[in-house]
Amino acid sequence: MVEALKITNLHKSFKTGFFFKRRKILKGITLTVDKGDIFGYLGPNGAGKTTTIKCIMGLIFPETGEIRILGQPYLSLKAKEHIGFLPENPYFYDYLTAAEFLRFYSQLFQLRREERDKRIEGLIKLVDLEKFADLQLRKFSRGMLQRIGLAQALLNEPELVMLDEPLGGLDPIGRKEIRDIIVRLREEGKTVFLSSHILQDIEMICDRVAIIVNGEIVNAGRLSDLISEKVFYTEVIVSGIDAEKLENLGDSMDSQGEKIFLKVYDDAKLESILQLVESHKGHIHSLIPRTETLEDIFVGVVKRQ
Amino acid sequence: MKIRAIALNTFKEAIRDRILYLVFFFAAVCLILSRLLALLTVGDQLKIITDVGLASISLFGTLMAILIGTGLVYKEIDKKTIFTLLSKPIHRYQFLLGKFFGLLLTLLVMVLLMTVIFLAMLFLHAIRVEWSLFIVICLIFIELALITSVAILFSTFSTPILSSVFTLAFYLIGHFSWGLETLMTKMPPGFSKTLAQIFYILLPDLENFNFKTETVHHLPIPSEVIGLSVLYGILYTALVLGVAMLIFRKRDFV
Amino acid sequence: MKKAVRILIFVITVGLIMGLQHTINGISRYRVPGSSIIYIPSGKHLKLASFGYSALMADLIYLWAIQYFSNQNIWDRFENLEHVFSIISELDPQYYDPYDTGSLIAYYDAKDLELAFRILDLGMEKNPNQWIFPLQAGHYAQMFARDYKRAEKYYKKAMTVKGSPPITRRLYANAVFEQSDYQTAWHNWLEVYETTDDERVKKIASNHLYRTKAAMDIQTLHQAIARYRERHGRFPRELSDLVRAGFLRSVPKDLDEKDYVYDEQTGKVQTRVNPWKR
Repeated sequence: MVEALKITNLHKSFKTGFFFKRRKILKGITLTVDKGDIFGYLGPNGAGKTTTIKCIMGLIFPETGEIRILGQPYLSLKAKEHIGFLPENPYFYDYLTAAEFLRFYSQLFQLRREERDKRIEGLIKLVDLEKFADLQLRKFSRGMLQRIGLAQALLNEPELVMLDEPLGGLDPIGRKEIRDIIVRLREEGKTVFLSSHILQDIEMICDRVAIIVNGEIVNAGRLSDLISEKVFYTEVIVSGIDAEKLENLGDSMDSQGEKIFLKVYDDAKLESILQLVESHKGHIHSLIPRTETLEDIFVGVVKRQ
Repeated sequence: MKIRAIALNTFKEAIRDRILYLVFFFAAVCLILSRLLALLTVGDQLKIITDVGLASISLFGTLMAILIGTGLVYKEIDKKTIFTLLSKPIHRYQFLLGKFFGLLLTLLVMVLLMTVIFLAMLFLHAIRVEWSLFIVICLIFIELALITSVAILFSTFSTPILSSVFTLAFYLIGHFSWGLETLMTKMPPGFSKTLAQIFYILLPDLENFNFKTETVHHLPIPSEVIGLSVLYGILYTALVLGVAMLIFRKRDFV
Repeated sequence: MKKAVRILIFVITVGLIMGLQHTINGISRYRVPGSSIIYIPSGKHLKLASFGYSALMADLIYLWAIQYFSNQNIWDRFENLEHVFSIISELDPQYYDPYDTGSLIAYYDAKDLELAFRILDLGMEKNPNQWIFPLQAGHYAQMFARDYKRAEKYYKKAMTVKGSPPITRRLYANAVFEQSDYQTAWHNWLEVYETTDDERVKKIASNHLYRTKAAMDIQTLHQAIARYRERHGRFPRELSDLVRAGFLRSVPKDLDEKDYVYDEQTGKVQTRVNPWKR
């Protein structure tokens, strides 16, 4: 089978307060993750990303829907043996050191001792925490916790790795390091499912994405399909001309002192602006064509809901 | 084994809890104080030392079981350490049992330490120790195991404060069923009496594990009673843990 | 505000508070002695509230009772003697010491022999297999009340308990035919002391031995003091005077080898230790 993860028609509501009011969080989620992909799960806060992931991990029980992990029923121990999970804002046992913590979790996989120690050493090196292997977790910074969290998710060399906001709270260097690790995982043949807010990172590494808004998948598919190559709009910065003259031509206008900033969607209008500026002896500071980014799609989709 | 791994981890966590040492400190103070208290009496000093000693082990052991037990599961849920744990290939019941045995091990160590101090106090007074004391302490430990299981049960769905209150209520009711018995004999037969009878059977009789008075007065404890009480304790504990596992199975961790 | 001023204000306030406390302490308030404990419920209710620690509670109340009943300032303390000791009995019926101590307080301090009998009766009721309580009651009946009918009843009861020493048979016989005296009491209790294995009974017997010896010694001393007064017209300044004057061979010491206490003004001798607190 090709699918690493298959979700069909997932529904989940939560009780609010004492009365029988129920709030529906997931309204029929259906998605498929192919093996060997890096799959991005996006959505605004409260859309249901974490709820979906918790359903997959068996922490929450859905009302209806089916989930299959690597072809197995998702709650079976066999399925769990091949997954790794890193939750959002991870928190681990304070008083254990990094190495002790990984040793404890590895005992749940029943690995042989030599194998276990070798793997732990390798993972600590992978996430760049060698210097802190014997430091208590209570002394770890947010970024360090994130990294040890990634290490524990990879203890069993899982085929499917579930990451909930893995890049949250990291500085740009940290984010690059994690991104690199995720890409390496794909090179090793693993499948990665990650949810995130940080769209630039998703854009950089994901093969497929799904966008969830208000409990429903509103857009899904290959990233390359969603983002077209053609020019979306052109960013124009000019000066030396009165703003009113440009009003009909630019689709969005902003002025800062001498300079006027324009977003021009229509190529024809672009020509007119350039001609106008020249005729008034104005100055063109920059002309930058921009392709559609994930952010643009995202914002557009959310606005539509 | 997976349960063992979780149990040992729980033990390491519980043994670091400052509350444990606070309670142990008070227990040690009481045990040592028993000697001083015995000096005030006219008559049998050994009785005072034994009474205070056994009562301390029982009371402070119960306190430890409640204070730590009620936080065990709740803390993992609250601090979200349970998320990654349950993502590993273990059954939820293995997690619960691991927690239970981890706390039980902790209590065993604590009871042993308190017993050592207790024996020291006894030895200072009279170099003669009754073997029945050890049987009594064993039964106290079984009672502690039952209380622990109740604390864990409440800990699966309630905050530590509420769980402590409920577990304490369980403890008090358990020692009160003797009163319920006398009440029942005075009641006229009818609906309330049957209701009381049902209550009496369902609720635990923790007095089954209480042989403090017998050993202090050097009365013999019949071995059938010991055997049956131990069985009662084990079965009731298993029942409570079973209920806990049931509740825990379908619990949503939001 | 300057720091020095702040410190000054602090010190003055503390001083005022301490002064106030001292003044309040000086005002004598009417306190009803011993009134608080009449609100203790019956032993049954207390047992319900003890949740399995009733033996410990009995201990604590007993310890408190010992302090309470030796407090001379509470002049009405004996009104609750029976109540307190019946509570202790209810909480831990097999606790021997309180029956013994309670009966002794009743006789020696409260001067209420009937109450002493009632307390010992309670001990007998709760512990029908123990012969020491009826033995003690018989002893009281004989020595203090000179009531041989009653003594006979108690000795008979002691005799019928399995494991009672042979002395009880003889006492039963004595009660009918002979008048007992200190010498016999001494021998009786000595036999109990030597033949029993029970630590508690041994202790009780030892206390009786102490008291009997004290009674004998004090009797001897008072006789010698009386003869001295006849001869010299006044009480001796100290007990050794009696030896120097030839009325005594030596000054007796109590069972613990300690001196008796002699009051020169009244010419009375007492034990150093409260008879039931030894």
